Amino acid sequence: MATKKSEEFDQVDWNEISRSGRFDLSINSIGMLVTTLPLVLLAVYDWQFLGERTPTFQFVGVDRGLESVDFFFIFTLLLAFWFLVLPLYQNPRMTRYYWKEFKQNRPAVVSLVWLGVVFVGGIVGPIVMDPPQQELLIAYQPPVFTSVVDTTPATCVGEVMNGRCYGTWEHPLGTTNAGKDVFTMIVYGMTISMQIAFITTTIVATIGISFGTLSAYAGGWVDEIMMRFVDIILSFPTFLMFLLILYIYGGGLGMFIVVFSLFAWGGTARYVRSKSLSISEEEFIKSSRISGASTYHVIRGHVVPNVASSIITQLTLLIPGFLLFEAQLAFLGIGDSTVPSWGQLISAGRSDLSFAPWIVLAPGIVLFLTILAFNFLGDALLDALNPEAEAENT
Amino acid sequence: MGFGRYVTARVLWAGVVSLVITTITFLLLSAAPNPDVQQAATQAALQGGNPAEATERVRELRGLDQPLYVRYFDFIRGVYTLDWGWSESRSQPVLEAVGSALYYTAQYSIPWTILTIILGPLVGVYSAANMYSWKDHAATGFAFFGYAIPNFFFGIILLLVFGVWLQFIPVTYNTDVAVFSVENAVQLTIPVFVLVTGSIGAVMRVSRNESAEFQNADFMKTAKAKGVSPLRAYAYHVMRPTLVPLSTTLVGQLLALFLGSSLLVEVVFAIPGLGRLTYKALIAQDTNLVLGTTLFFTFVAVVGNLLEDIVFTVLDPRISYDDR
Repeated sequence: MATKKSEEFDQVDWNEISRSGRFDLSINSIGMLVTTLPLVLLAVYDWQFLGERTPTFQFVGVDRGLESVDFFFIFTLLLAFWFLVLPLYQNPRMTRYYWKEFKQNRPAVVSLVWLGVVFVGGIVGPIVMDPPQQELLIAYQPPVFTSVVDTTPATCVGEVMNGRCYGTWEHPLGTTNAGKDVFTMIVYGMTISMQIAFITTTIVATIGISFGTLSAYAGGWVDEIMMRFVDIILSFPTFLMFLLILYIYGGGLGMFIVVFSLFAWGGTARYVRSKSLSISEEEFIKSSRISGASTYHVIRGHVVPNVASSIITQLTLLIPGFLLFEAQLAFLGIGDSTVPSWGQLISAGRSDLSFAPWIVLAPGIVLFLTILAFNFLGDALLDALNPEAEAENT
Repeated sequence: MGFGRYVTARVLWAGVVSLVITTITFLLLSAAPNPDVQQAATQAALQGGNPAEATERVRELRGLDQPLYVRYFDFIRGVYTLDWGWSESRSQPVLEAVGSALYYTAQYSIPWTILTIILGPLVGVYSAANMYSWKDHAATGFAFFGYAIPNFFFGIILLLVFGVWLQFIPVTYNTDVAVFSVENAVQLTIPVFVLVTGSIGAVMRVSRNESAEFQNADFMKTAKAKGVSPLRAYAYHVMRPTLVPLSTTLVGQLLALFLGSSLLVEVVFAIPGLGRLTYKALIAQDTNLVLGTTLFFTFVAVVGNLLEDIVFTVLDPRISYDDR
């Protein structure tokens, strides 16, 4: 500590305080605005000037289209970068502390690595890999290092020995009944899973935090009505309601994400409300008020950041539920069958389970590991971000 | 506020919640194009008739030409007087279809619920008593495994192993066997096992963490000092306070699983229960039946939440009624 310059409390950054007007933006917000602008322009261009089937990037000669879900996904990625990753870089001291706490939990570190793989695979994979092609001739190729009776695949890509067809590195996880490469499909499924994870989290966090803090600060009958509304949201049978909406209106991945996140923020709002009620009793809020801070400044500058760090855990534990729901719907065949998600792959391979189990097993295990990783991560974040919880346990 | 008034208030509130959900369902349905009307229009157009006229006739027949509020009150009356209409795909009243499906759903969900409620807290308290031993780690590992493995995927795998390869259980559910027979028990083992592994993890984790708190409480030390046997001490002094926070999450979680997973498990194992009924009604576009099953699940959820609140106050005398 002696060699490094420690944080000092007696130095006041007057610059920061004199800048703290409502319309002065931090570097994060400026970055967010600057990066969102081209995205919005691109979305408008795609929506207004291009036909339904024209790929977005045709003007630069790339044959790849973006849909509304993709635009929203990129938007949430930008949000995550400017308001989650960059602050961690800006506050290296807190980051080091969190990391020190976090890395004590070994399963959580492994989970983080796995989720990193899924994240990078989901973003980079569709860019560098071609979409899975249907090739009936090479249907039912076994995964590498395994073999099946050579009557199962139409033609064996690998070598045939003693009447058994061996898998090749060309199709490391085998192929489906339509000859699509399972590995490629899993990588494409990563994109879908990450889209679900990021977009739902953003929607749930936005509604939950604003609803909860508003309710806590409004108080009185407004608070009462808002919390009763949350009660209704919580007891809403979302799964069935989604089936109903799907039945009446139809809908794809976007509809799924919107419906499920619009009914999932109840718990978050409740938690945020109780948390902000307890925070507003703290000394630093009182001193901030005495110094003349407006309610907006107190909420924006003190309550929301304090609440946000503690709901990260809750949000992490919500994501696996969404992934599971998506897989279930896809399995039932009432999801959007054009979306190459893991659930679609599981349901596609179900009828061939007895002789080609890899079609179901590979995406199923990936899904299982991802859900497990989110659970471990949530547990570890709870310990890392909330030192009091740990103190209670010991 | 006394207990009686508290219960009354909760029951009234449950009524309001169910009314709100039914209203939303009605609005959703009335805002959507009716498949019957469209079908009639298409048919009329195909047969050279006037589609507009046919549409009008069907609308009149179904009472769709009446103003929205009249239809709304008719709908609400029908829902609460249990007049849920006629299921076209099954050619029987909706209520009857729901009832016969419930018979099969109950056969696996009752053992499942009982097993979860009994085994979950027991294992949780046991692993708290042996905290950080290999038993605790095994239980924790199992809990996380059950949590994370998708129920339907686990079901498919078990069906493949035990149904197709080992042939211990029939691949499709046999409805002909008696309820209390060995065959029925055998064919329900795997579905119940899948559901229990899915639901028990959360119960185990909560009861483990909660009871860890009570283990070193003063009243436990007193009990030990008095020479109370460990079994009795855990049963009376740890288990009881653990059940209180547990009961708040338990009902909600079981309900969520009941609504979501039972559908999947029934589809995987081909059990003709409520979940499969909903699924088939969706596929067959049988509006009345879809509506009926949705309403049934909704009412189960509302009543479950109500019971949870009441049980919570009965179990824990410290809770004041004024609070909520």
